Amino acid sequence: MASLRELQASFAAALRDDSAACAVSPRQNLSIYRNNSAINFRTALGLCFPVLRRRVGDDYFRQLAMKYRERNPSRSGDLHWVGRGFAPFLVEHLQGGDYTWLADLARLEWSREEAAVAVAHAAVGAEVLSHFTPEQLEDLRFSLQPSLRLHASDFPVFTIWAANQVDNAPPVDQSLPGECGMVRARTDGVEVRRLKPEVFSYLSALSAGAPLGEAVSVAGLDQPALVQALGFVFQEALVCAVAA
Amino acid sequence: MHGPIPAAAGIGLRAVHHQALIAERPPVGWIEAHTENYFHEGGSAVRALERARADYPLSLHGVGLGLGSADGVDREHLLRVRRAISRFEPALVSEHACWGQADGEFFNDLLPLPYTDEAVELLARQVGEAQDALGTRLLIENVSAYVAFEHSHLHEWDFLTAVAELSGCGLLLDVNNVFVSSRNLGLDAHRFIEGLPAERVGEIHLAGHSRNGNVLIDDHGSAVCEEVWQLYRHAIARLGAVPTLIEWDTNIPALSTLWAEAQRADHLLGELRGLAA
Repeated sequence: MASLRELQASFAAALRDDSAACAVSPRQNLSIYRNNSAINFRTALGLCFPVLRRRVGDDYFRQLAMKYRERNPSRSGDLHWVGRGFAPFLVEHLQGGDYTWLADLARLEWSREEAAVAVAHAAVGAEVLSHFTPEQLEDLRFSLQPSLRLHASDFPVFTIWAANQVDNAPPVDQSLPGECGMVRARTDGVEVRRLKPEVFSYLSALSAGAPLGEAVSVAGLDQPALVQALGFVFQEALVCAVAA
Repeated sequence: MHGPIPAAAGIGLRAVHHQALIAERPPVGWIEAHTENYFHEGGSAVRALERARADYPLSLHGVGLGLGSADGVDREHLLRVRRAISRFEPALVSEHACWGQADGEFFNDLLPLPYTDEAVELLARQVGEAQDALGTRLLIENVSAYVAFEHSHLHEWDFLTAVAELSGCGLLLDVNNVFVSSRNLGLDAHRFIEGLPAERVGEIHLAGHSRNGNVLIDDHGSAVCEEVWQLYRHAIARLGAVPTLIEWDTNIPALSTLWAEAQRADHLLGELRGLAA
Protein backbone atom coordinates (compact mmCIF):
# COMPACT_ATOMS: atom_id res chain seq x y z
CA MET A 1 0.00 0.00 0.00
CA ALA A 2 1.23 3.48 -0.87
CA SER A 3 2.56 5.58 1.99
CA LEU A 4 0.98 8.88 2.99
CA ARG A 5 3.94 10.68 1.47
CA GLU A 6 3.46 8.83 -1.82
CA LEU A 7 -0.28 9.54 -1.82
CA GLN A 8 0.29 13.24 -1.25
CA ALA A 9 3.05 13.34 -3.86
CA SER A 10 0.72 11.74 -6.42
CA PHE A 11 -2.06 14.18 -5.50
CA ALA A 12 0.38 17.08 -5.90
CA ALA A 13 1.55 15.71 -9.26
CA ALA A 14 -2.07 15.49 -10.41
CA LEU A 15 -2.63 19.11 -9.38
CA ARG A 16 0.27 20.10 -11.61
CA ASP A 17 -0.54 17.71 -14.44
CA ASP A 18 -4.03 16.45 -15.16
CA SER A 19 -2.69 13.23 -16.69
CA ALA A 20 -0.69 12.15 -13.61
CA ALA A 21 -1.95 9.08 -11.76
CA CYS A 22 -3.78 9.69 -8.50
CA ALA A 23 -5.90 7.18 -6.57
CA VAL A 24 -8.89 9.39 -5.77
CA SER A 25 -12.49 9.43 -6.86
CA PRO A 26 -14.27 11.06 -8.50
CA ARG A 27 -11.10 11.88 -10.32
CA GLN A 28 -12.56 14.73 -12.36
CA ASN A 29 -13.12 16.66 -9.13
CA LEU A 30 -9.36 17.07 -8.77
CA SER A 31 -9.85 20.03 -11.11
CA ILE A 32 -11.63 21.83 -8.24
CA TYR A 33 -8.48 21.68 -6.12
CA ARG A 34 -6.36 22.60 -9.15
CA ASN A 35 -8.53 25.64 -9.79
CA ASN A 36 -8.74 26.63 -6.12
CA SER A 37 -4.99 26.54 -5.82
CA ALA A 38 -4.47 28.64 -8.96
CA ILE A 39 -7.22 31.10 -8.06
CA ASN A 40 -5.96 31.54 -4.50
CA PHE A 41 -2.48 32.26 -5.84
CA ARG A 42 -3.72 34.65 -8.52
CA THR A 43 -6.11 36.46 -6.17
CA ALA A 44 -3.37 37.02 -3.60
CA LEU A 45 -1.05 38.27 -6.35
CA GLY A 46 -3.75 40.56 -7.73
CA LEU A 47 -4.32 42.10 -4.32
CA CYS A 48 -0.64 43.07 -4.23
CA PHE A 49 -0.67 44.62 -7.71
CA PRO A 50 -4.08 46.26 -8.20
CA VAL A 51 -2.87 49.04 -10.47
CA LEU A 52 -0.84 46.73 -12.68
CA ARG A 53 -3.81 44.37 -12.95
CA ARG A 54 -6.10 47.23 -13.86
CA ARG A 55 -3.62 48.51 -16.45
CA VAL A 56 -3.10 45.17 -18.23
CA GLY A 57 -6.63 43.78 -17.76
CA ASP A 58 -7.74 40.60 -16.03
CA ASP A 59 -7.03 38.25 -18.95
CA TYR A 60 -3.40 39.24 -19.37
CA PHE A 61 -2.90 39.41 -15.62
CA ARG A 62 -4.16 35.82 -15.41
CA GLN A 63 -1.55 34.77 -17.98
CA LEU A 64 1.21 36.62 -16.15
CA ALA A 65 0.15 35.05 -12.84
CA MET A 66 0.16 31.56 -14.37
CA LYS A 67 3.64 31.98 -15.85
CA TYR A 68 4.91 33.55 -12.65
CA ARG A 69 3.52 30.64 -10.61
CA GLU A 70 5.17 28.09 -12.91
CA ARG A 71 8.52 29.73 -12.20
CA ASN A 72 7.82 30.77 -8.60
CA PRO A 73 5.41 28.35 -6.96
CA SER A 74 4.17 29.25 -3.50
CA ARG A 75 6.71 28.34 -0.80
CA SER A 76 4.52 29.17 2.16
CA GLY A 77 1.13 28.52 3.67
CA ASP A 78 0.85 32.30 3.95
CA LEU A 79 0.13 33.87 0.56
CA HIS A 80 0.77 37.43 1.65
CA TRP A 81 4.34 37.39 0.40
CA VAL A 82 3.63 35.61 -2.86
CA GLY A 83 4.29 38.77 -4.87
CA ARG A 84 7.81 39.27 -3.58
CA GLY A 85 9.43 37.98 -6.78
CA PHE A 86 6.89 39.37 -9.25
CA ALA A 87 8.80 42.50 -10.28
CA PRO A 88 12.06 40.59 -10.96
CA PHE A 89 10.01 38.01 -12.88
CA LEU A 90 8.50 40.77 -15.02
CA VAL A 91 11.94 42.27 -15.69
CA GLU A 92 12.99 38.98 -17.21
CA HIS A 93 9.67 38.10 -18.82
CA LEU A 94 9.20 41.47 -20.50
CA GLN A 95 12.85 41.99 -21.37
CA GLY A 96 13.36 44.09 -24.47
CA GLY A 97 9.65 44.64 -25.11
CA ASP A 98 7.49 47.73 -25.00
CA TYR A 99 6.13 46.93 -21.58
CA THR A 100 9.23 46.80 -19.42
CA TRP A 101 7.74 49.70 -17.46
CA LEU A 102 5.30 47.19 -15.97
CA ALA A 103 8.17 45.74 -13.94
CA ASP A 104 8.83 49.17 -12.41
CA LEU A 105 5.13 49.60 -11.69
CA ALA A 106 5.19 46.19 -9.96
CA ARG A 107 8.22 47.25 -7.94
CA LEU A 108 6.38 50.37 -6.80
CA GLU A 109 3.28 48.39 -5.87
CA TRP A 110 5.30 45.81 -3.98
CA SER A 111 6.88 48.62 -1.97
CA ARG A 112 3.36 49.73 -1.18
CA GLU A 113 2.57 46.25 0.11
CA GLU A 114 5.68 46.21 2.29
CA ALA A 115 5.01 49.71 3.59
CA ALA A 116 1.41 48.86 4.47
CA VAL A 117 2.45 46.23 7.00
CA ALA A 118 5.67 47.76 8.32
CA VAL A 119 5.91 48.61 11.98
CA ALA A 120 5.48 52.35 12.68
CA HIS A 121 7.74 54.10 15.19
CA ALA A 122 6.93 57.35 16.96
CA ALA A 123 8.36 60.27 15.00
CA VAL A 124 10.63 62.90 16.56
CA GLY A 125 10.26 66.59 15.77
CA ALA A 126 12.88 69.07 14.57
CA GLU A 127 13.43 70.19 18.17
CA VAL A 128 15.60 67.11 18.59
CA LEU A 129 18.27 69.03 16.68
CA SER A 130 18.64 71.39 19.64
CA HIS A 131 20.34 68.54 21.51
CA PHE A 132 23.32 68.84 19.21
CA THR A 133 25.92 71.53 18.66
CA PRO A 134 26.14 73.29 15.24
CA GLU A 135 29.46 71.51 14.72
CA GLN A 136 27.76 68.12 15.07
CA LEU A 137 25.04 68.81 12.49
CA GLU A 138 26.81 67.45 9.46
CA ASP A 139 27.68 64.20 11.25
CA LEU A 140 24.12 63.49 12.34
CA ARG A 141 22.60 60.21 11.21
CA PHE A 142 18.84 59.83 10.90
CA SER A 143 16.76 56.72 11.54
CA LEU A 144 13.79 56.94 9.20
CA GLN A 145 10.40 55.21 9.41
CA PRO A 146 10.71 51.48 8.62
CA SER A 147 7.90 51.78 6.07
CA LEU A 148 9.82 54.26 3.90
CA ARG A 149 10.65 52.92 0.43
CA LEU A 150 12.40 55.00 -2.24
CA HIS A 151 12.01 54.48 -5.95
CA ALA A 152 13.68 55.74 -9.08
CA SER A 153 12.52 54.63 -12.50
CA ASP A 154 13.40 55.36 -16.11
CA PHE A 155 9.64 55.56 -16.69
CA PRO A 156 6.96 57.94 -15.41
CA VAL A 157 5.92 55.25 -12.95
CA PHE A 158 4.50 57.55 -10.27
CA THR A 159 2.34 59.30 -12.87
CA ILE A 160 1.17 55.91 -14.20
CA TRP A 161 0.33 54.73 -10.68
CA ALA A 162 -1.62 57.90 -9.88
CA ALA A 163 -3.47 57.91 -13.22
CA ASN A 164 -4.62 54.31 -12.82
CA GLN A 165 -6.45 54.62 -9.54
CA VAL A 166 -9.64 54.38 -11.58
CA ASP A 167 -10.76 51.90 -14.22
CA ASN A 168 -10.32 52.72 -17.90
CA ALA A 169 -7.81 55.51 -17.30
CA PRO A 170 -6.23 56.83 -20.52
CA PRO A 171 -2.69 55.52 -21.12
CA VAL A 172 0.20 57.60 -19.86
CA ASP A 173 2.80 58.63 -22.45
CA GLN A 174 5.72 56.27 -21.77
CA SER A 175 8.16 58.69 -23.38
CA LEU A 176 7.74 61.10 -20.48
CA PRO A 177 10.88 61.44 -18.35
CA GLY A 178 11.66 58.96 -15.60
CA GLU A 179 10.48 59.72 -12.08
CA CYS A 180 11.51 59.16 -8.51
CA GLY A 181 9.67 59.27 -5.25
CA MET A 182 8.77 57.61 -2.00
CA VAL A 183 6.27 55.21 -0.53
CA ARG A 184 5.50 55.35 3.16
CA ALA A 185 2.78 54.28 5.59
CA ARG A 186 0.56 56.79 7.30
CA THR A 187 -2.07 55.99 9.90
CA ASP A 188 -4.80 56.35 7.27
CA GLY A 189 -3.09 54.37 4.50
CA VAL A 190 0.00 54.29 2.34
CA GLU A 191 1.26 57.38 0.61
CA VAL A 192 2.86 57.16 -2.84
CA ARG A 193 4.53 60.45 -3.66
CA ARG A 194 6.75 61.73 -6.42
CA LEU A 195 9.79 63.69 -5.22
CA LYS A 196 12.18 66.15 -6.82
CA PRO A 197 15.41 64.34 -7.80
CA GLU A 198 17.50 66.26 -5.25
CA VAL A 199 15.11 65.45 -2.41
CA PHE A 200 15.09 61.82 -3.55
CA SER A 201 18.92 61.71 -3.53
CA TYR A 202 19.05 63.30 -0.11
CA LEU A 203 16.46 60.92 1.35
CA SER A 204 18.16 57.93 -0.29
CA ALA A 205 21.47 58.87 1.27
CA LEU A 206 19.92 59.42 4.72
CA SER A 207 18.00 56.17 4.39
CA ALA A 208 21.23 54.32 3.54
CA GLY A 209 22.74 55.64 6.78
CA ALA A 210 24.87 58.46 5.41
CA PRO A 211 25.49 61.42 7.74
CA LEU A 212 23.56 64.59 7.03
CA GLY A 213 26.56 66.40 5.55
CA GLU A 214 27.17 63.63 3.03
CA ALA A 215 23.47 63.39 2.14
CA VAL A 216 23.38 67.12 1.47
CA SER A 217 26.52 66.92 -0.62
CA VAL A 218 25.30 63.92 -2.66
CA ALA A 219 22.03 65.72 -3.37
CA GLY A 220 23.85 68.95 -4.26
CA LEU A 221 21.66 71.00 -1.92
CA ASP A 222 22.56 74.63 -1.27
CA GLN A 223 21.88 76.29 2.08
CA PRO A 224 18.23 77.27 1.47
CA ALA A 225 17.51 73.87 -0.05
CA LEU A 226 19.14 72.17 2.93
CA VAL A 227 16.85 74.01 5.33
CA GLN A 228 13.86 72.95 3.23
CA ALA A 229 15.03 69.36 3.01
CA LEU A 230 15.61 69.16 6.76
CA GLY A 231 12.19 70.64 7.35
CA PHE A 232 10.70 68.10 4.96
CA VAL A 233 11.81 64.97 6.83
CA PHE A 234 10.56 66.32 10.14
CA GLN A 235 7.29 67.76 8.83
CA GLU A 236 6.54 64.45 7.14
CA ALA A 237 7.21 62.62 10.43
CA LEU A 238 9.79 60.45 8.70
CA VAL A 239 12.45 60.73 11.43
CA CYS A 240 12.34 58.22 14.31
CA ALA A 241 15.71 59.05 15.87
CA VAL A 242 18.78 61.23 15.36
CA ALA A 243 22.25 60.35 16.57
CA ALA A 244 25.59 62.10 16.33
CA MET B 1 -9.28 41.92 26.77
CA HIS B 2 -12.00 39.31 26.95
CA GLY B 3 -12.25 35.86 28.44
CA PRO B 4 -13.41 32.56 26.97
CA ILE B 5 -15.51 32.19 23.86
CA PRO B 6 -19.16 32.02 24.99
CA ALA B 7 -21.56 29.32 23.80
CA ALA B 8 -23.11 31.87 21.48
CA ALA B 9 -22.86 32.93 17.86
CA GLY B 10 -19.86 34.83 16.56
CA ILE B 11 -18.82 36.17 13.18
CA GLY B 12 -15.72 35.75 11.06
CA LEU B 13 -13.90 39.09 10.95
CA ARG B 14 -12.80 40.11 7.47
CA ALA B 15 -10.83 43.21 6.47
CA VAL B 16 -13.81 44.86 4.76
CA HIS B 17 -15.63 44.89 8.10
CA HIS B 18 -12.81 46.17 10.31
CA GLN B 19 -14.04 49.75 10.45
CA ALA B 20 -17.73 48.83 10.63
CA LEU B 21 -17.15 46.44 13.53
CA ILE B 22 -15.22 49.04 15.49
CA ALA B 23 -17.75 51.79 14.72
CA GLU B 24 -21.00 49.82 15.07
CA ARG B 25 -19.98 47.29 17.72
CA PRO B 26 -22.78 44.84 16.93
CA PRO B 27 -23.65 42.66 19.94
CA VAL B 28 -22.21 39.43 18.54
CA GLY B 29 -20.86 37.00 21.08
CA TRP B 30 -17.34 36.79 19.73
CA ILE B 31 -15.20 37.16 16.61
CA GLU B 32 -12.87 34.86 14.72
CA ALA B 33 -10.00 36.04 12.53
CA HIS B 34 -7.85 34.15 10.06
CA THR B 35 -4.49 33.91 11.80
CA GLU B 36 -2.44 34.44 8.64
CA ASN B 37 -4.07 37.83 8.03
CA TYR B 38 -2.50 39.15 11.21
CA PHE B 39 1.09 37.96 10.90
CA HIS B 40 2.46 41.40 10.12
CA GLU B 41 4.20 43.59 12.65
CA GLY B 42 2.34 46.74 11.66
CA GLY B 43 -0.43 47.99 9.42
CA SER B 44 -4.12 48.72 9.59
CA ALA B 45 -5.26 45.09 9.88
CA VAL B 46 -3.34 44.36 13.07
CA ARG B 47 -4.35 47.71 14.54
CA ALA B 48 -8.00 46.93 13.78
CA LEU B 49 -7.78 43.49 15.39
CA GLU B 50 -6.10 44.95 18.46
CA ARG B 51 -9.04 47.35 18.80
CA ALA B 52 -11.70 44.76 18.03
CA ARG B 53 -10.33 42.26 20.50
CA ALA B 54 -10.79 44.82 23.26
CA ASP B 55 -14.54 44.57 22.63
CA TYR B 56 -14.98 40.90 21.75
CA PRO B 57 -13.63 37.49 22.77
CA LEU B 58 -11.34 36.36 19.96
CA SER B 59 -10.67 33.08 18.21
CA LEU B 60 -7.75 32.69 15.78
CA HIS B 61 -8.39 30.30 12.91
CA GLY B 62 -5.43 29.19 10.81
CA VAL B 63 -5.64 28.11 7.19
CA GLY B 64 -2.00 27.62 6.29
CA LEU B 65 -0.23 25.16 8.58
CA GLY B 66 -1.20 22.04 6.62
CA LEU B 67 -0.80 19.92 9.74
CA GLY B 68 -1.35 16.69 7.80
CA SER B 69 1.48 17.26 5.32
CA ALA B 70 3.75 14.22 5.17
CA ASP B 71 6.65 16.58 4.43
CA GLY B 72 6.17 18.17 7.85
CA VAL B 73 5.04 21.53 9.16
CA ASP B 74 6.71 24.80 8.22
CA ARG B 75 8.47 25.85 11.44
CA GLU B 76 8.59 29.50 10.39
CA HIS B 77 4.83 29.53 9.85
CA LEU B 78 4.32 27.92 13.24
CA LEU B 79 6.50 30.60 14.80
CA ARG B 80 4.36 33.31 13.21
CA VAL B 81 1.22 31.68 14.61
CA ARG B 82 2.89 31.66 17.99
CA ARG B 83 3.68 35.38 17.70
CA ALA B 84 0.06 36.10 16.72
CA ILE B 85 -1.17 34.12 19.75
CA SER B 86 1.19 36.00 21.98
CA ARG B 87 0.09 39.35 20.57
CA PHE B 88 -3.68 38.87 20.39
CA GLU B 89 -4.19 36.36 23.21
CA PRO B 90 -7.06 34.47 21.60
CA ALA B 91 -9.39 32.34 23.69
CA LEU B 92 -9.45 29.65 20.99
CA VAL B 93 -6.99 28.61 18.29
CA SER B 94 -7.97 26.31 15.46
CA GLU B 95 -6.65 24.75 12.28
CA HIS B 96 -7.73 22.11 9.75
CA ALA B 97 -7.45 18.37 9.28
CA CYS B 98 -5.73 18.71 5.94
CA TRP B 99 -2.41 18.90 4.19
CA GLY B 100 -1.04 21.65 1.99
CA GLN B 101 2.47 21.06 0.70
CA ALA B 102 4.58 18.50 -1.10
CA ASP B 103 8.14 18.70 -2.41
CA GLY B 104 8.46 22.28 -1.22
CA GLU B 105 5.43 23.56 -3.11
CA PHE B 106 2.49 24.92 -1.14
CA PHE B 107 -0.93 24.64 -2.74
CA ASN B 108 -2.65 27.14 -0.42
CA ASP B 109 -5.78 25.08 -0.25
CA LEU B 110 -7.23 22.70 2.34
CA LEU B 111 -6.33 19.38 0.70
CA PRO B 112 -8.06 16.20 1.88
CA LEU B 113 -6.25 13.43 3.71
CA PRO B 114 -6.61 9.71 3.13
CA TYR B 115 -8.38 8.31 6.19
CA THR B 116 -5.79 5.71 7.11
CA ASP B 117 -3.98 4.69 10.29
CA GLU B 118 -0.77 6.25 8.99
CA ALA B 119 -2.54 9.59 8.42
CA VAL B 120 -4.08 9.42 11.92
CA GLU B 121 -0.63 8.92 13.43
CA LEU B 122 1.02 11.66 11.40
CA LEU B 123 -1.71 14.25 11.89
CA ALA B 124 -1.97 13.47 15.61
CA ARG B 125 1.81 13.74 16.00
CA GLN B 126 2.02 17.04 14.13
CA VAL B 127 -1.03 18.47 15.93
CA GLY B 128 0.62 17.48 19.21
CA GLU B 129 3.90 19.12 18.20
CA ALA B 130 2.05 22.26 17.12
CA GLN B 131 0.19 22.39 20.44
CA ASP B 132 3.50 22.12 22.27
CA ALA B 133 5.06 24.85 20.15
CA LEU B 134 2.05 27.15 20.50
CA GLY B 135 1.44 26.46 24.17
CA THR B 136 -2.26 25.94 23.60
CA ARG B 137 -4.77 23.28 22.73
CA LEU B 138 -5.95 23.34 19.13
CA LEU B 139 -9.36 22.68 17.68
CA ILE B 140 -9.07 20.75 14.42
CA GLU B 141 -11.70 21.29 11.73
CA ASN B 142 -13.11 18.82 9.22
CA VAL B 143 -12.66 20.12 5.66
CA SER B 144 -14.98 20.05 2.67
CA ALA B 145 -14.01 17.33 0.24
CA TYR B 146 -14.51 16.91 -3.49
CA VAL B 147 -12.62 13.63 -3.79
CA ALA B 148 -11.89 10.67 -1.53
CA PHE B 149 -8.69 8.63 -1.52
CA GLU B 150 -9.25 5.06 -2.58
CA HIS B 151 -6.86 4.06 0.24
CA SER B 152 -9.16 5.44 2.96
CA HIS B 153 -10.43 2.69 5.24
CA LEU B 154 -11.72 4.79 8.16
CA HIS B 155 -14.82 6.92 8.35
CA GLU B 156 -13.89 10.59 8.54
CA TRP B 157 -15.53 10.93 11.97
CA ASP B 158 -13.55 7.96 13.30
CA PHE B 159 -10.41 9.47 11.81
CA LEU B 160 -11.02 12.81 13.56
CA THR B 161 -11.90 11.09 16.83
CA ALA B 162 -8.69 9.07 16.74
CA VAL B 163 -6.60 12.19 16.00
CA ALA B 164 -8.26 14.02 18.90
CA GLU B 165 -7.70 11.12 21.29
CA LEU B 166 -4.06 10.67 20.33
CA SER B 167 -3.11 14.36 20.30
CA GLY B 168 -5.45 15.70 22.97
CA CYS B 169 -6.81 18.32 20.58
CA GLY B 170 -10.42 19.42 20.39
CA LEU B 171 -12.57 19.40 17.28
CA LEU B 172 -14.15 22.17 15.29
CA LEU B 173 -17.21 20.84 13.51
CA ASP B 174 -17.91 22.67 10.26
CA VAL B 175 -21.51 21.71 9.57
CA ASN B 176 -21.44 23.17 6.07
CA ASN B 177 -18.34 21.10 5.29
CA VAL B 178 -20.10 17.97 6.50
CA PHE B 179 -23.03 18.82 4.25
CA VAL B 180 -20.81 19.59 1.22
CA SER B 181 -18.71 16.44 1.65
CA SER B 182 -21.77 14.28 2.25
CA ARG B 183 -23.39 15.47 -0.97
CA ASN B 184 -20.18 15.25 -3.01
CA LEU B 185 -19.04 11.88 -1.73
CA GLY B 186 -22.25 10.19 -0.63
CA LEU B 187 -21.57 10.26 3.11
CA ASP B 188 -24.26 10.18 5.76
CA ALA B 189 -24.14 13.66 7.33
CA HIS B 190 -26.13 12.68 10.41
CA ARG B 191 -23.95 9.68 11.04
CA PHE B 192 -20.89 11.94 10.73
CA ILE B 193 -22.18 14.20 13.50
CA GLU B 194 -23.31 11.31 15.66
CA GLY B 195 -19.90 9.70 15.29
CA LEU B 196 -17.97 12.61 16.82
CA PRO B 197 -17.05 12.66 20.52
CA ALA B 198 -19.36 15.42 21.84
CA GLU B 199 -17.05 16.34 24.70
CA ARG B 200 -14.27 17.27 22.26
CA VAL B 201 -16.27 19.57 19.97
CA GLY B 202 -15.39 23.09 21.05
CA GLU B 203 -16.72 25.11 18.13
CA ILE B 204 -19.06 24.90 15.15
CA HIS B 205 -18.73 26.67 11.81
CA LEU B 206 -21.61 27.59 9.53
CA ALA B 207 -21.25 28.99 6.02
CA GLY B 208 -22.76 29.03 2.58
CA HIS B 209 -21.76 26.99 -0.45
CA SER B 210 -22.43 27.09 -4.16
CA ARG B 211 -23.25 24.46 -6.76
CA ASN B 212 -21.23 23.67 -9.86
CA GLY B 213 -23.16 21.02 -11.76
CA ASN B 214 -23.50 18.11 -9.37
CA VAL B 215 -20.72 19.29 -7.10
CA LEU B 216 -21.16 21.54 -4.08
CA ILE B 217 -18.35 24.05 -3.66
CA ASP B 218 -17.46 25.31 -0.21
CA ASP B 219 -16.99 28.94 -1.21
CA HIS B 220 -18.34 30.75 1.89
CA GLY B 221 -20.02 33.14 -0.50
CA SER B 222 -23.68 33.07 0.47
CA ALA B 223 -26.09 32.66 3.36
CA VAL B 224 -26.27 29.36 5.23
CA CYS B 225 -28.79 27.19 3.37
CA GLU B 226 -31.85 25.69 5.04
CA GLU B 227 -30.51 22.14 4.88
CA VAL B 228 -27.36 23.21 6.72
CA TRP B 229 -29.47 25.01 9.34
CA GLN B 230 -31.39 21.76 9.84
CA LEU B 231 -28.16 19.85 10.17
CA TYR B 232 -26.95 22.46 12.65
CA ARG B 233 -30.10 21.92 14.75
CA HIS B 234 -29.29 18.23 14.77
CA ALA B 235 -25.67 18.96 15.71
CA ILE B 236 -26.43 21.17 18.70
CA ALA B 237 -29.18 18.81 19.86
CA ARG B 238 -26.48 16.16 20.11
CA LEU B 239 -23.45 18.24 21.08
CA GLY B 240 -25.11 20.88 23.25
CA ALA B 241 -24.70 24.65 23.01
CA VAL B 242 -21.34 25.11 21.29
CA PRO B 243 -19.80 28.45 20.19
CA THR B 244 -20.98 28.86 16.61
CA LEU B 245 -19.34 30.96 13.92
CA ILE B 246 -20.84 32.46 10.78
CA GLU B 247 -18.17 32.49 8.06
CA TRP B 248 -18.44 34.53 4.87
CA ASP B 249 -15.33 34.92 2.72
CA THR B 250 -16.41 35.68 -0.85
CA ASN B 251 -19.12 38.07 -2.08
CA ILE B 252 -18.93 39.46 1.44
CA PRO B 253 -22.12 41.33 2.37
CA ALA B 254 -22.67 44.15 4.87
CA LEU B 255 -21.77 43.40 8.46
CA SER B 256 -25.48 43.55 9.33
CA THR B 257 -26.13 40.49 7.12
CA LEU B 258 -23.56 38.45 9.02
CA TRP B 259 -25.04 39.65 12.24
CA ALA B 260 -28.51 38.55 11.11
CA GLU B 261 -27.14 35.06 10.40
CA ALA B 262 -25.48 35.06 13.82
CA GLN B 263 -28.79 36.02 15.43
CA ARG B 264 -30.43 33.01 13.80
CA ALA B 265 -27.76 30.73 15.27
CA ASP B 266 -28.21 32.44 18.64
CA HIS B 267 -31.95 31.86 18.41
CA LEU B 268 -31.41 28.13 17.85
CA LEU B 269 -28.92 27.99 20.71
CA GLY B 270 -31.50 29.77 22.87
CA GLU B 271 -34.18 27.27 21.89
CA LEU B 272 -31.84 24.49 22.91
CA ARG B 273 -31.25 26.06 26.30
CA GLY B 274 -35.02 26.46 26.69
CA LEU B 275 -35.49 22.78 26.04
CA ALA B 276 -32.79 21.92 28.53
CA ALA B 277 -34.23 24.19 31.27
